[in-house]
Amino acid sequence: MKLVTAIVKPHRIDDVKDALREIGVSGLTTTDVEGFGRQRGHTEVYRGAEYQVDFVPKVKVEVVVDDGDVEGVVDAIVKAARTGKIGDGKLWVGEVDRVMRIRTGEMGPDALSG
Amino acid sequence: MSVTGPAVSLREGLRALERAYTLGHHGPAVARRRAALVDACLVELFDHAGAPARVALVATGGYGRMVQLPASDIDLLVVHDDPASIAQSVDALLYPLWDAGLAVGHAVRTAEECLAATERLDAWTAMLDGRLVAGDETLAARALAPVQARAREDAAGFARRLRDAAGARRDRFGSSAQLLEPDLKEGSGGLRDVASLGWLATALGVDLERAGVVRARERAAVDAAEAFLVRGRSAVQLLTGRRADRLVSELQPDVALGMGFVDEPNLLATDGLMRALFEHARNVEHVVALAVARVMAGATDVGSVSVANPAAILEALADAADRGEVPSVGLLNAVEDVPVPDPVAWDTRTRDAFLRLLRAGERGSAMFDVLDRMGLLARFIPAWAGVRCRPQRDPYHRSTVDAHLLAAAARMADLLTGSGDAGDPLEAAAVSHLERPDALLLGALLHDVGKIGTGGHVPIGTTIARDTLEAMGVAGADRDLAVFLVQEHLLLPDTATRRDLSDEDLLLDVAARIGTPERLGGLYLLAKADAFATGPAAWTPWRETLVHELVAKVQRVFDRGEMGEELAARLVERTERLRQLLEGESDDRIERFILRVPRSYLLAVDPGRAAEHFRIVTPPLGRNEVRTAATVGSRAGTYEVVVVASDRPGLLSWIAGSLAIGGISILAAQAFTTEDRTAIDVFEVEGAFEPEITEARWRAFRSTLRRTIEGSISLEHRVREKGRHYPRPRTPSPVSVRVLNDVAEFSTVIEVGAPDRIGLLHDITRTFADLHLGVHLAKVATFDGRVVDAFYVRDELGRKVTESGMLADVEAALRERLEA
Repeated sequence: MKLVTAIVKPHRIDDVKDALREIGVSGLTTTDVEGFGRQRGHTEVYRGAEYQVDFVPKVKVEVVVDDGDVEGVVDAIVKAARTGKIGDGKLWVGEVDRVMRIRTGEMGPDALSG
Repeated sequence: MSVTGPAVSLREGLRALERAYTLGHHGPAVARRRAALVDACLVELFDHAGAPARVALVATGGYGRMVQLPASDIDLLVVHDDPASIAQSVDALLYPLWDAGLAVGHAVRTAEECLAATERLDAWTAMLDGRLVAGDETLAARALAPVQARAREDAAGFARRLRDAAGARRDRFGSSAQLLEPDLKEGSGGLRDVASLGWLATALGVDLERAGVVRARERAAVDAAEAFLVRGRSAVQLLTGRRADRLVSELQPDVALGMGFVDEPNLLATDGLMRALFEHARNVEHVVALAVARVMAGATDVGSVSVANPAAILEALADAADRGEVPSVGLLNAVEDVPVPDPVAWDTRTRDAFLRLLRAGERGSAMFDVLDRMGLLARFIPAWAGVRCRPQRDPYHRSTVDAHLLAAAARMADLLTGSGDAGDPLEAAAVSHLERPDALLLGALLHDVGKIGTGGHVPIGTTIARDTLEAMGVAGADRDLAVFLVQEHLLLPDTATRRDLSDEDLLLDVAARIGTPERLGGLYLLAKADAFATGPAAWTPWRETLVHELVAKVQRVFDRGEMGEELAARLVERTERLRQLLEGESDDRIERFILRVPRSYLLAVDPGRAAEHFRIVTPPLGRNEVRTAATVGSRAGTYEVVVVASDRPGLLSWIAGSLAIGGISILAAQAFTTEDRTAIDVFEVEGAFEPEITEARWRAFRSTLRRTIEGSISLEHRVREKGRHYPRPRTPSPVSVRVLNDVAEFSTVIEVGAPDRIGLLHDITRTFADLHLGVHLAKVATFDGRVVDAFYVRDELGRKVTESGMLADVEAALRERLEA
């Protein structure tokens, strides 16, 4: 099993959710996060008041999937999150050793489905 | 073994009592009977234990007050004066109770230890409820009298300790008057607060009404609240079978049913239960806070105060708020004697006093609460009846609608006086530019007034707010701003978190909807006040950063004059005209077209022309497809031609080159890019050699352009050749190039002035293409042989060009090409 983690723009999160639902992903976790990559912080000005924005708000999406589904999930996220502009975010895939559904004790892929 | 007998029969008796009343009807009378059963058992056990000498068995806490709930501990104090033998007596008393499965909370103290225990407020107040059940009366009195005397010595100090403890409990357990899952015992407005009135009476040594600390009505309200809370908490304990005090969501349907609540229009039974509970708990909070404050202030004189009319009520409360006082018993008695019509007819005095209360922030809000407790606020604002004590079931809100509105108004008052968030530069800047602070206070007070259990709260609230302000006599710009704030209070947070803030048209749309910088500042302050009053999850740094970005960008749209009230009106008018001209087309397609094209297009292109463009732009475009349409221009001998193609780097230069090759001079040009990257480029042209541009020449132009796009011909050479046939200006005027990075949010603007010549636009735009810059918008004009152009360019990633080396390159490359 794999953990797919993506950092996306806040306004793309609904599209990402829809895209994942369409390919049958039944569960995901999102978190409001802040950070920076190549799109650094910047200085903003409002009516003469200057302030520094160090971190850019993003949403982190985490999905645990069966090995065979990774490509489809990655594809769906990337397509839905891409605007072509700077700051579209990052995605990475990592190995997951164990998954358990807390309520039933089901393990592995069984714990992911349904 | 006979000594277990009394405990077992107590258990049986308590179970019988449980069955004797249905869930929801275990009120104070049942609690009293329960305490009496415990009394009887303890007396018997005490006798069985051999009625030890010099021991007193004292009931404390709720049991002491004869309010024993189904699963609450039996609180006992064993007073003695012989540490050596007491353990055995206590064992004989308590083991049977424990063995019977009854929960006992006990303390074993000498009289001296009792006095020492007053250091802990909870131990102290438990003993203030002390009541002898069995044993040595003298010993009990010797223990309890000093405990009471200590409270009496310094009633004001004791009241202060009660207030501090209530504050700490409120921080820890929240308010029973607002929380959706309230703690009926420890929560503010809960049973512990009810009990504190009794402790205050003990501290004063006299009945609270006689002492002028509590009014008869207030006492009655608290008694009713206690009965309700006891029924509710008993129901929770009976349902869970545990010593539980929190009315969690899962229990609410059963408790509501048990207490006789049914679903009503716009109010579910569970919400009805919560609403009634909040009402009672608020009365408790209110009366206890007033009583404690009055005892602390020592102001127990009823006095006589004269209040003549509704306006005077508000004035008196505003005076008290300004002085930082709670309203005296005398004042509230006087208020109760004023005939207050329902609804109140507002006059200037009423309005001024009301606004004074709003400006007083937290203290003013507390006075509105006082009015509400007396049933008067809804007479001033009839709409208040719809939101009073109304629970809100969402993940963010932690209070009822009315409490939320009062909190938001109070927070707004803080923001307006600069005592909000010192670390927020936007807040300070917004406040310093405000002209109508009262409108902001009114907007904050009414922003959620549409939450009355039916339909979308924003449109409903907007209508209610307008009517309310009308009745208050708030008119003109103040009313308009306040209504606007109610109508749009979700615009900033919703847009900031859900929409693409790098979309120029989104910013223009938001700016058009808002209209003025003052309104923008007002919405920002309302968003903050609203979030602050909602709860900690509503305003995270994450949200704040996004809202800041939106506000700063929209403000810059105003600063640059890209949108404002006039432009917004023009945009609406032109869009409407376009819709009319396109009548007969499907609405869907019309709206899609309007959303696709940039706002700058709608503002610049005549609706009549745009309607023609609609037919060219709407059908799907092939990758290399070029569509053109030419019409007679506005001046004699000129033509207007529109070129539509998929946008790509260099497209504008190819079009300009193809026109040049066709012997067509460009007088003016406007280049636009739609959301889905279709270029709509509009040119005003004239024939260079022959004034008339025949269809054959247009065809030739189209063919050149298409072949260029397909890559089958190179334009450079041909344009240069063509240039030779045209006379160069005799007295060349200088070339000027200016690169501006602060006139557009998302584009670098490059202004070029140069003597006109064939192929000039081609050369300029080719330079951009060479440098991998896309032309997002262009405005080209020719005056008297000189061309003045402005190009809005972006880099390959769609960003403004900010690197200084690149900016210098653009300027140098343009000069080199144009001066050659």
